Amino acid sequence: MTPFELNTTIANLRDLRASDLSDYDAVYLGDIYCRIYEANFLERPGDLQEGLRILRDQGKRAYVTTYAAPRNDFLPGVRRMLETAASAGAEAVEVHNLGILKIAHDEFPQLPVHVGGFANLYTASGVEVLRGFGAVRFTPNYELSLDEIREITAGCDAPMELLVHGKMPLGVSDYCFLLDYEEKWGVKCPDLCQKELFLKQGDWAMKSVGKGILSGKDVCMLEHLPRLLAEGHRDFRIETISESPAYRREVAAVYRAALSRAAGGDVTLDEGWWETLRRHARIGLCNGFYFGKSGMEYAGLRPDSMGSLLTISRVES
Amino acid sequence: MPALLAPAGSLGAVSAALDAGADAVYVGLAGWSRGGARRELTGNELAVAQRRVASAGRELQVALNTIPKAVERARLFEQIAALRDRGIRSVIVNDVGILTDLKRRFPDLGLTASIGCGAQTVSDVAFFRDLGADAVVLPGTVSPEEMREIRTVRGIRVEIMIHMVEEFVLLGKCWMPSYVHLQPTVFGKASEPPGAGDPPDGGRSGLRLTGSMKRGGVGACFRICQQPWELYDSGRLRGTRLFPSRQISRRADVAAYAEAGVDVLKLQGRSLPEELLAPLVRSYREAIDGRTAPAAEQAWSAPLPAAWAVVGR
Repeated sequence: MTPFELNTTIANLRDLRASDLSDYDAVYLGDIYCRIYEANFLERPGDLQEGLRILRDQGKRAYVTTYAAPRNDFLPGVRRMLETAASAGAEAVEVHNLGILKIAHDEFPQLPVHVGGFANLYTASGVEVLRGFGAVRFTPNYELSLDEIREITAGCDAPMELLVHGKMPLGVSDYCFLLDYEEKWGVKCPDLCQKELFLKQGDWAMKSVGKGILSGKDVCMLEHLPRLLAEGHRDFRIETISESPAYRREVAAVYRAALSRAAGGDVTLDEGWWETLRRHARIGLCNGFYFGKSGMEYAGLRPDSMGSLLTISRVES
Repeated sequence: MPALLAPAGSLGAVSAALDAGADAVYVGLAGWSRGGARRELTGNELAVAQRRVASAGRELQVALNTIPKAVERARLFEQIAALRDRGIRSVIVNDVGILTDLKRRFPDLGLTASIGCGAQTVSDVAFFRDLGADAVVLPGTVSPEEMREIRTVRGIRVEIMIHMVEEFVLLGKCWMPSYVHLQPTVFGKASEPPGAGDPPDGGRSGLRLTGSMKRGGVGACFRICQQPWELYDSGRLRGTRLFPSRQISRRADVAAYAEAGVDVLKLQGRSLPEELLAPLVRSYREAIDGRTAPAAEQAWSAPLPAAWAVVGR
């Protein structure tokens, strides 16, 4: 049993089967943005059952996530999925939406609830409210700094789950503007959002996954893991929903090694780890909002890790 | 019939909204209601507004829809006590924690869960009912059909923002602006004496970091989604585009929303000057009262006058 949990997100059975999860402790199953994301676990109870079984067989904690911005017509499917999660042994369900939180609490009280980043948790009193609806773990809103997160935990002693690496969710929409390109590009949904699509404006970029907008740069907290552990955080996420199995495996290996080392009091970092992270970060690295700066800045000792936009601006046509 | 809740960003706009037939008016309290292009009222202006609204027999609601930092919380509670002393009984808030704190401290205060709380479904509305909210605001993207199901939840007033700009990213679910930059903002009006309505945390002469629309103290939207983006596919430039957004103004659906059981039709637009606000409010008043000729009803499906488009929500 490690003194921390490293987890990630996987949208469908194909990606789950293709992924080496040996360095993860837990996995959230499902795509939170879109019901028609290719073979989304959240729309396929049979796949979800199989996914949960695969994770259990690998000795992983198996979680199920839920939609970030549902409408009324999502809710029957959400109930079916929660029923499947409960009956197939999911260890927790992640909720980003307060209505789904109420459904989980009222109808599936046996399912522990993790509060996701789109639930807009900004305050200690918010934690208390959500605890009243069965929440046991909390992802604070991504734009809170570590100091602000500490203010929350000081006021309520709640376990926080922090994004330590990967593209940070920045927004969710009711619409997928990529559908505008189906005819023009000759690529149909659900293949469109599997492409590597970046939106660029001036000197910054975001990644599009259709209804979801993610940071262009990868949040990277590698050199700050000792601080996170010292401040009592134990649950860490590598966001890989839109990444390849190689990214999923190699980034996790870096963080597993670094966290294990940090937990033992060793704060040194291998140069090879940086090379791995830089290689997978298409646009560069940032620290998100953890240090009270804008989300795309890098506040650590490795300014060379910030990267540049050259990787996407060289090959214009 | 549903009540008409109009925005106002100035004392002139408050009067214009009342004259045009609003049943209630909402304003922002300086320093506590996001600010930006939307105008806010100082404490003194708020007192005048309350007198005008009360003398007209209508209601004034105050938007306190930023999420204050922990150190600002006590100051917010002081502000609310001052609002109550002035006769204000309804506030609009944006955070579930703040909402429950206020419910505990001020049980007689009417509490509305802002559109920024992100409610869109029947379950969301039930959640806010359970939490103790008196009202919840849903976006105008929620159809009358959806609203009929939502109205099966009793014990809470349902408001619909029937006139609003729908951006690509959902309200309350966007922190793209703060990903670009956090901009120190000066706030407060030097000409105003201290009192209720002062910016939080001694901000009269200070600077505050701003972030997303709801980030602590004063949020600001840098409206990056309204600027052109280059779209790259695997490193290759495939074109320049805007995020889709549209002005929603569902005047033609007023009767359908009323039939679905909506309690309040709310208009976005605290940034609108009074000369533009008045005809907008009047047109909804007429739609609610059924005083519009059939030909005009047809015209409601046509594009709005450009000047009515809400700027800088």
